[in-house]
Amino acid sequence: MTGQYLSRQKLAEALADEQCLWSAAGEQVEVCEMIAGLSEPRSPLSPKGWLYPSLQSVGQYGDGFTSPPAEAPAPRAIIGLRACELAALKYLDKMLLEGQFQEPVYRSRRKSAVLVSTDCAAAAPTCFCTSVGGLPLADDGYDVNLSPVEGGFVVDVASDRGRAWLAAAGLECIPASADQLAQRDRIRRAVTEAVESQNRSTGLEVAQGQSLVLPDDGDPAWQRYAADCVECGACTNICPTCYCFYLYDQALGPGLFERVRTWDSCILGTYHRMAGTTSNMKPTPRPRLRSRLANRVLHKFTYAPQQCGLLGCVGCGRCIEACLGAIDLRQVVGELQP
Amino acid sequence: MSTSDSYIPTPTELVEVIDETPTIKTLVLAPAEPMSFKAGQFIQLTLPGVGEGPFTPSSSPSHPERISITILRTGTVTERLHECRPGQVLGLRGPFGKGYPIDKLAGKEVLVVGGGVGLAPLRALILTLLDDLDPIKRMSIRYGARGMEELLFRREYDQWASHAKVDMQVTIDNPQPGWQGPTGVVTTLLKDLDMTLPECTAFVCGPGIMLQFTTQALEAEGLTAEQIYLSMNRRMSCGMGLCGRCNIGKYYLCKDGPDMNYALIKDAPNVF
Ligand SMILES: Cc1cc2nc3c(=O)[nH]c(=O)nc-3n(C[C@H](O)[C@H](O)[C@H](O)COP(=O)(O)OP(=O)(O)OC[C@H]3O[C@@H](n4cnc5c(N)ncnc54)[C@H](O)[C@@H]3O)c2cc1C
Ligand code: SF4
Ligand code: SF4
Ligand code: FES
Repeated sequence: MTGQYLSRQKLAEALADEQCLWSAAGEQVEVCEMIAGLSEPRSPLSPKGWLYPSLQSVGQYGDGFTSPPAEAPAPRAIIGLRACELAALKYLDKMLLEGQFQEPVYRSRRKSAVLVSTDCAAAAPTCFCTSVGGLPLADDGYDVNLSPVEGGFVVDVASDRGRAWLAAAGLECIPASADQLAQRDRIRRAVTEAVESQNRSTGLEVAQGQSLVLPDDGDPAWQRYAADCVECGACTNICPTCYCFYLYDQALGPGLFERVRTWDSCILGTYHRMAGTTSNMKPTPRPRLRSRLANRVLHKFTYAPQQCGLLGCVGCGRCIEACLGAIDLRQVVGELQP
Repeated sequence: MSTSDSYIPTPTELVEVIDETPTIKTLVLAPAEPMSFKAGQFIQLTLPGVGEGPFTPSSSPSHPERISITILRTGTVTERLHECRPGQVLGLRGPFGKGYPIDKLAGKEVLVVGGGVGLAPLRALILTLLDDLDPIKRMSIRYGARGMEELLFRREYDQWASHAKVDMQVTIDNPQPGWQGPTGVVTTLLKDLDMTLPECTAFVCGPGIMLQFTTQALEAEGLTAEQIYLSMNRRMSCGMGLCGRCNIGKYYLCKDGPDMNYALIKDAPNVF
């Protein structure tokens, strides 16, 4: 079902009755906020926080028994996902669900979510999806897509799940007019051009799936950027595609233990630290911050395309926004690529 | 083990603790259900409530009902593992990783080079090859430890070398009263190798510095990078190629290793 129209008013009424999550951090927010957000640039947080929680029990064990993690939460619609966030999910699906082992928490939440995306009606100053093979409009990977136009949205439904959600929410669409469709295309072109033009000076131009040749993580060239890094880990936290984690155990009582999965950051010195303190054992293969910074960028732009055929960066610009050291990833990659 | 709960260890009884050296103990585990594994694959061993660490079984995969884990005391978790007593319940996850490429060894001269506790994972390889020596041409084992008291599995060397196709040389770092064998680091046993080099495949396991010097020595002898497999150590957590921390370039050691063909990683920085 493509090219339908839904008024803003109708959507607001339906969402008021629905258990919906606003895409940012997967939180529940006021419906008016949600509706307004659909016309704003992508939010500072991505839905990673809900789909792949930062701290999560993965089960308990004890003397002679194990118990699996809690059941997945009830199906929810995540409203307002952007094209870059859908691209991030595509990447996370590849990395976390398509190998020999599957990440159980992500799998259960991912499978339960209805993805309701929206075209970007405006771009944040740090957005650069068009420099990494993307566009500020969803063309793939959603259940329902909403394109903001005058008074409402042009609606595209791409799956049975999306159709079922619309029906359950009592959302009846009417065919969009030629004017509304033309308006959608105009907005799409305008935002695409805006993102392209704000990034023209960075010189960054990577095709989707292209593995970049960058200096390796031992190269001093990275120092120029690492000099500004304060090792806060904000970049990896905020990134919709960073998924590194760490497992630790805690005691809940005598003979009862819980295993917890927590986000980790490859920027931090403790991340790679190995056992052994004697001089003939290297405590970490990346003792220098510049090597760790390099490893983060290399994973996104060099290794990920080799590992799964997709870039590990979707150009959302969040890490640029969040960086305490004002490191601009576009500049880093733009300057270091041959 | 299903994939959904593989973060959670399966309770496994510790049935025997063997004092190997002053710093190394072998814990023998009897999983409730035999856990089949290939030589070179590793497991995650949990000491309940304390933590988990990756270890490669030192026992033969042909006895999955009794799995030996040989552990060097080196930090928080291994310190506490050394205090464990038979009857205690530990936790197992796995097996993880690829395991040694044993099916590629037909017609080969196999060179096994170990340093210190590095002989533990190699023992699984040695025992597997000893089970059926027919396909390979020869197995030569070179092993070095800091001192006589740190020699691992010492009571087994004669038996290993009793096969016509097998020879073993052992060195300790410095001369010691009562030691008649060679002294010096293990690379001293790799000079003028009496092997047919083009037919050689080498497996190396030991501390990082030993891997580095052994690789140099083997290359100096004329082995190509493709002929050398290194047991690479990196910090690990999930063991399943998910948590991201054990990478060398695009490879995750837990999934693509831990034994890596040197040709695949030789151009990466900080390999050793
Ligand atoms: C594939 C592979 C196979 C291996 N096989 C063997 C083997 O057969 N034999 C052998 O002796 N060694 C083996 N090792 C090395 C062994 O895994 C480490 O020596 C061991 O994990 C050290 O743990 P530790 O806690 O004692 O050391 P530490 O130095 O105390 O800790 C190592 C790391 O684990 C973390 N850690 C420590 N305690 C905890 C805790 N309670 N909770 C969470 N994290 C903690 C620390 O942050 C530290 O960075 C292998 C390693 C790998 C990667
Ligand atoms: S690396 Fe930065 S720009 Fe790229 S996806 Fe992550 S947060 Fe967004
Ligand atoms: S956000 Fe910036 S300062 Fe913080 S760890 Fe990342 S690169 Fe370094
Ligand atoms: S240990 Fe988690 S990816 Fe290798």
